[in-house]
Amino acid sequence: MDNISNQHIQNSKIQILLIFILTVSTFLLAIFALGMGSSTNLDFLTTLKIVLSLEEATTLQSDIIWKLRFPRILMAIVGGIALATAGALMQGCLGNPLVSPLTLGVASGAALGAALAIVIGFSISGELAYLFSFFGLFPGILYWPPIEFILFYSDSLAIIVNAFLFSLIVVAIIIQLGNLRSVSAESYILVGIAITFIAGAIVSTMQYFATDAQLSQLAHWSFGSLSRPTLWDAVLIMIIVIILMPFALIRAWDLNTLSLGGDDFAISTGVDPKVTRKKILIFSALMTSIVIAFTGLIGFLGLAAPHMSRLIVGNDYRKLIPCSAVFGALLMLLADTLGRTLFAPIIIPVGIMLSILGGPFFMYLLLRNRSGF
Amino acid sequence: MSPPRKLREVIEIEDLNFSWKNNHVLEDVNISIPNNQLIAILGINGAGKSTLLKCINKILKPDSGNIKLQSNDISDLNLVELAKRISYVPQSVLTSFSMEVFDVVLLGRRPHISWRISNEDRDKVSKTLKFLNLEDFAFRRFNQLSGGERQRVIIAKAIAQDPNLFLMDEPTSDLDLKNQIEVMTCIKKLVSKKEGTKSALIAIHDINTAARFADRILLLHDKKIVADGTPEDVLTEENIANVFGVTSEIIPKSKSNPLRVIIKDKTNEYKENTEEE
Ligand SMILES: Nc1ncnc2c1ncn2[C@@H]1O[C@H](COP(=O)(O)OP(=O)(O)O)[C@@H](O)[C@H]1O
Ligand SMILES: [Mg+2]
Repeated sequence: MDNISNQHIQNSKIQILLIFILTVSTFLLAIFALGMGSSTNLDFLTTLKIVLSLEEATTLQSDIIWKLRFPRILMAIVGGIALATAGALMQGCLGNPLVSPLTLGVASGAALGAALAIVIGFSISGELAYLFSFFGLFPGILYWPPIEFILFYSDSLAIIVNAFLFSLIVVAIIIQLGNLRSVSAESYILVGIAITFIAGAIVSTMQYFATDAQLSQLAHWSFGSLSRPTLWDAVLIMIIVIILMPFALIRAWDLNTLSLGGDDFAISTGVDPKVTRKKILIFSALMTSIVIAFTGLIGFLGLAAPHMSRLIVGNDYRKLIPCSAVFGALLMLLADTLGRTLFAPIIIPVGIMLSILGGPFFMYLLLRNRSGF
Repeated sequence: MSPPRKLREVIEIEDLNFSWKNNHVLEDVNISIPNNQLIAILGINGAGKSTLLKCINKILKPDSGNIKLQSNDISDLNLVELAKRISYVPQSVLTSFSMEVFDVVLLGRRPHISWRISNEDRDKVSKTLKFLNLEDFAFRRFNQLSGGERQRVIIAKAIAQDPNLFLMDEPTSDLDLKNQIEVMTCIKKLVSKKEGTKSALIAIHDINTAARFADRILLLHDKKIVADGTPEDVLTEENIANVFGVTSEIIPKSKSNPLRVIIKDKTNEYKENTEEE
């Protein structure tokens, strides 16, 4: 081992330490957020005591903590992880610092898919139960855990599947765009804007056909919020994210190669750019869809979190993916906690908070794009 | 210059044809490259040098013909296997996301590793950096280097890849005189290691650099290899007039100097050969 190698190991250790500090900060913020809220009989200290089982909680208190705040916080964390990871992957595989689930239109596609599923009324659990019990012949089989799990989540899964299918349409458009020669970084964004307009127009049209209840659900789509997902939605997304993350990480070298040197450089380093791009875009669309399906449109997180991480750990995807994930969780949690405490008891949806913070950031990126990252 | 013993071929190209739509660029090109040879390809702009290198590296798919790498057809090799044996230095690398020089060179290890980098990989990188006098740049950002420095980093990445064949597309075009000589000397050293099995195929513009370092020169002209042999065989006044359309004077190789080409013009005399656009 010589000193250059040692220095490289040293630098890596510092970066891993920084990721660790970020993780701890996120965890602390989560505990803090659990104690924050508009409820007067539940201040921060009381919450802390209840969580640490130092104090008996009233039913109301325990409901507020575990049924209102906890699902929200869990959703902020897993949602932030998924959206930020998706953003980092998209930026790397297209070699384009301006792209993210929102700016490419993938998020709008997913939101449209989810909205359609909700309004047109996708309740497949009844049909599924009938099918699983072999047309009513073996009703007992419905209590077999795996089938119970699927049935419990069938409506949620249906929404996710529909969101994913619609986001795939957008991915297909992006891949076609990439096959054209000499598309500029900005072209992707313009196409993304067009897709967002179209999806928005369709959702607006749907409002004319929606019932009052559906209307209030649709209102979420333009500005995503964390108040809708239940604890079980958040748990489902958490499970999916835990299963998916390793697949993102094993692509780290491919992303390093693609994002540093482009297609020819990638091929000569053993990476097939077209195949890799396709796989990663589909994967990112899935990551985006699972969140957007429950929260509605949340933007800028997938753009901002990776860029802030690049400042800390550089562009090595082996560290950038975990760092973006943690940063995403931290930012989403921060934005949501601010949103529900700044003007309490009025709650500002996290989607609005992030747009207020993220919009200027996006403009900054657009303006400095020429100088490279 | 060809060594007396029979060498194993690194790569054999048979009847290679390539066209861009209706523009037939390479026609029935045959090249065979044995171990331990540094081969320069010369030709005017647009002759098809880059195209030829990209066909060998599977960046472009030829219309017809066979390319055998150590007697395996390259179409049977996947990109990782190919990258273990061939490394390619593109004419230029455009980056959108920059990395530290060390990490760029580390990408050369990508075909050889699964996920974790070992200390051997790190040492290979730092050895390569030292070999090319880049150790002071190790932790500088790639996009903040000058064009020539970047070119050397990409060459270092190719060397760290530890291939049997280097394909280099004008690797010295952005380098100053001293670095041109140093880089070419490094490549020559790698290739001529007798126990090694490395060769290099280098597209180059500077005739005199080619004459000085190449064991063999290929002249690519009008879709074909029109001359193939030692610098003395290939760099004749007649060949240079045919291919580059300039008159020249050849100063033959001597004990202290390699063969040199002096390009002349009908009216002026140039000391240098500048046929670049
Ligand atoms: N992407 C491309 N599309 C169409 N024609 C191309 C492309 N790249 C190169 N060519 C054409 O192929 C020929 C050979 O180009 P190239 O291999 O780059 O030449 P060289 O490297 O010798 O200067 C030129 O006539 C050039 O115009
Ligand atoms: Mg060229």
